[in-house]
Amino acid sequence: MAVLRLTGLLAQETGARRLEVEAATLEDALRALPTPQLVLDEHGALRPLVHVYVEGAREKDLGAPLQRNAEVILIAAIAGGRDP
Amino acid sequence: MSRTILVGTRKGLFLLREDDDDGYALDAPLLAGWEVLHAVRDPRDGTLFACTNSFVHGGQLHRSTDDGETWEIAEGLGLPEESGLTLGKTWHVEPGLASQPGVVWLGAEPACLFRSVDGGATFTPVQALLEHPTRDRWQPGAGGLICHSVTLDPEDPERLYVGISAAGVFRTEDGGESWAPANKGTAADFMPDDPYPDVGQCVHKVHVHPGNSERLWQQNHCGVYRSDDRGESWERLDGNGLPSDFGFGLGLHPGDPDVAYVIPERGAANRVTTDDRLGVYKTTNAGASWTLEADGLPEPAWSVILREGMDFDAFGVAFGTQSGFVYARPHDGPWVEAARHLPPVLSVSLSA
Repeated sequence: MAVLRLTGLLAQETGARRLEVEAATLEDALRALPTPQLVLDEHGALRPLVHVYVEGAREKDLGAPLQRNAEVILIAAIAGGRDP
Repeated sequence: MSRTILVGTRKGLFLLREDDDDGYALDAPLLAGWEVLHAVRDPRDGTLFACTNSFVHGGQLHRSTDDGETWEIAEGLGLPEESGLTLGKTWHVEPGLASQPGVVWLGAEPACLFRSVDGGATFTPVQALLEHPTRDRWQPGAGGLICHSVTLDPEDPERLYVGISAAGVFRTEDGGESWAPANKGTAADFMPDDPYPDVGQCVHKVHVHPGNSERLWQQNHCGVYRSDDRGESWERLDGNGLPSDFGFGLGLHPGDPDVAYVIPERGAANRVTTDDRLGVYKTTNAGASWTLEADGLPEPAWSVILREGMDFDAFGVAFGTQSGFVYARPHDGPWVEAARHLPPVLSVSLSA
């Protein structure tokens, strides 16, 4: 089991900020979302502005194994402003 | 008759409900936080569809069968691996004809069309448009390489048209299996070597007349046009009362195929309404002449209306501005302000 922590629009769409899913890998965990298309594109790639943290460390490898009860945080990388 | 104006904005979908005093009631937005580039209510069964976009979460389609209480996100919106393409924004959703229950079309970026046969729950890409032999000559407009218009022949479910910027209008007569360019007579002045190519035109909006399948209207980057032969040829209609040939919004009158509305802008380099006012121009003679219809609209004003920012039905027309105002009127009557201080309006859609 892994614990997904959701933020922003993803939490709004899912109706929850915390979701427990059965997952051996990061990809398993993301595919277990009710709307995986919000974080993975049609080719299965992680959308570039969805940043994933597993146990507090940035993770870009969808194949990364998840330890039991791993905490997976999904954050929308919101940028703003412009160069001076 | 009471009706609703669906207003897609940069920050969600607003439903403006007509009240008994000729005004409109405004509720908090649905789909908060999503850019709603277009939304419609399916006249067949009342389902709400919204083209929802987020720079984080991509282009999606939301659908609701309970008037916006709950929503589902469509599945299958994606392009095949072998195309080398990835879906961008979703731009226009078009419910099929009453004779085709379950059919829903969706136009999107990059220049792609999707079809659903299950009421919009799942979609598949229309391969023939994706693999069109002229595709390497299509160029993105300012909004990207987008399929933004999907307009249906009112009688023949196999015939429909798409408008792609900047590729032009394409027609299918076999339900999407094959597509032919329908751009004869429409200009592409930005292509100096060939200003009348077979493809490459920057159509801004195209509609088939809902009561006359021969007649189409088009607001283009380079002119306003009418076709009386299903898009085989086009006649240019500006220069006879219109202050500019440039604009985006296009309205029709379902009961009179000779009526059309446009909102001219100064030009490609300065996309704001002409003559320091918010002016809608109407023709009642198939484009032979145009008259200013600004009774009830603000002046002075410098407004911006996007391609999905205008809609029409049997009762009248409505449009919304990038400054968050929405105006509506019957076909013969003054404009009424239906809403103000909304986020920038991306789309307007009338529903009974």
